[in-house]
Amino acid sequence: MTRYGFVIDSKSCISCHSCAVACKVENNLPDTIWWNRILTDGGPNMDTPAGTYPNLTIRNIPMACQHCDNPACVKVCPVGATYKDPETGVVRQDYDKCIGCRMCMSACPYTGVRSFNWEEPQYAIGQPMGSLDIPQHQKQVVEKCTMCWHRLAQGEKPACIDPCPARIRFWGDFDDPSSEVSQLIREREYQHLLPEQGTKPSVYYLV
Amino acid sequence: MTERTASAPKGGKGLTIGIGVCAVLAVIGVALWVVQLTGGMVQTAMRNLDSWGLYITMFMFFVGLSAGGLIISSVPKAFGIKGFGGVSKVAVMSSIAATVAAIGFVVVDLGQPLRVWELFAYSNLGSPLMWDIIVLATYLVLSCAYLWAQVQAERGKVSATALRVISVVALVCAILVHSVTAWIFGLQQSHEMWHTALLAPWFVSSALVCGTGLVLLVAIGLRRAGYLALEQAYLVKLAKLLGAFLVVDLYFFGCDLLTEAFPAAGGLAVVDMLVSGPLAPFFWGEVVLSVAAAVVCFVPSLRTSPLLALAGVAAILAILCKRVQLLVGGFQIPNIEWPAVMTPSTVTNWQGNLEQAYAGMVYWPAPIEWGVALGVVALAVLIFLLGLKFLPLKPADGE
Repeated sequence: MTRYGFVIDSKSCISCHSCAVACKVENNLPDTIWWNRILTDGGPNMDTPAGTYPNLTIRNIPMACQHCDNPACVKVCPVGATYKDPETGVVRQDYDKCIGCRMCMSACPYTGVRSFNWEEPQYAIGQPMGSLDIPQHQKQVVEKCTMCWHRLAQGEKPACIDPCPARIRFWGDFDDPSSEVSQLIREREYQHLLPEQGTKPSVYYLV
Repeated sequence: MTERTASAPKGGKGLTIGIGVCAVLAVIGVALWVVQLTGGMVQTAMRNLDSWGLYITMFMFFVGLSAGGLIISSVPKAFGIKGFGGVSKVAVMSSIAATVAAIGFVVVDLGQPLRVWELFAYSNLGSPLMWDIIVLATYLVLSCAYLWAQVQAERGKVSATALRVISVVALVCAILVHSVTAWIFGLQQSHEMWHTALLAPWFVSSALVCGTGLVLLVAIGLRRAGYLALEQAYLVKLAKLLGAFLVVDLYFFGCDLLTEAFPAAGGLAVVDMLVSGPLAPFFWGEVVLSVAAAVVCFVPSLRTSPLLALAGVAAILAILCKRVQLLVGGFQIPNIEWPAVMTPSTVTNWQGNLEQAYAGMVYWPAPIEWGVALGVVALAVLIFLLGLKFLPLKPADGE
């Protein structure tokens, strides 16, 4: 079996948003949509620290779909438009099937990783960008990180991995003990986001 | 809505005007729904972090309203006890109308309503939403069949035993429809406010409160309009029942608040939000209206027709307040509140930061949602009034 997922050494994340932008371009995301976002554990605004100078703290947490082993979204979709690929463990979304009920958005504990196209998708430069292999974005359906399914199909890594200048993003197969990601979670301490929700995410944050 | 039938013993001018007004409002509602779909749901106030709004609130509310009629009508028949006079058929008609509204509110909430056929082609039977669609459809068909059986029974074409069997099945289905609607919310571990085993029984009790309130209101209104004769004793019986349901509902509310608050952990945020936070008007609205309605129901000297009608209205509004608390409250407390990029799709009040978006109510409906919702409600009233006009809903002799 294969269980693809991510390891993110978020302690060293510099919040440059390169992975978020790479994702947005590769997947030709509509104007108001970000599948991958950098959250700031600090002040009230993005990229601001908590505390008073010089005692400031900040932690950056890149967050997208957690591709859970026990996904809350898959269970509640009435038509199976969101489903877990049994071969790879990727939680997928079928735009053509989605009826736009938004039950998955409500069920997902990871606030904001799922987006709805509230209007006809619009693009900043007026024409599509990124990969030619991605499915067309549709109005009034739910979408989210696909783990760059189109790239996986060609034997490539997701688009968010290599652009990271701090080299803190890793992708691979957790069921393969010799993979880089398996080694990392063997050797380093890690956390899941919201482990109490019991969703068993496939994104591991090194601490 | 019942006022319009004034001086209409056999559905006179008032009823016809009521039907006309509702038809016009329903057509406007459909037109606005088309506008919503073509221009995009961006015209609503719903956004990614508050992805359900007025429509799903009203869906919960109307599922509840549909309870009263059917239960008031079927319990006496199912258990072979004395009923509530001649309101039985009118009560079931109100159930049918409310169920249509509930289904209508789910449909107007969908982003891709033309794909609803997929629900039957690709049914994921593990989804609570799928359960609800199945139970709601069954419930609507059963309500119609039950109404038909009552009419036929009066004509001697359906036996009392058969009617009793149908009423038992209808009663079970009514309990199920509220439980399943609760499970759409209550089975989601991601919303602490919703994730409680109490939610299903609580939905049943809330449904009984607003459903009985509606039947009481309709009965008083129709009696006043001369549509049916009803002894005051039946109204008093309904009122006592309403009082009991109100107390049970408040008891569940108290149990839930205590369980949330006592560990002084995560659940405390839910209680704070309700008692003194952005949803306080709806929390206190529910409490005050429920208590006021219960007082009217329990104090014999207060059980005059106008006050009982007011108690019915208060009970219905109290449960509407409850629905707003549940829906908006569910989105008011995010699991992850670390700030990130904000876009017009993120949250209703997206211009500031997340803290500001959650400072007041995270969601408040946009004008188009009010218009569409009014249209769906008008459709339900239209169905009810058409029933009054064209169906033999008046009590049979001797009832």
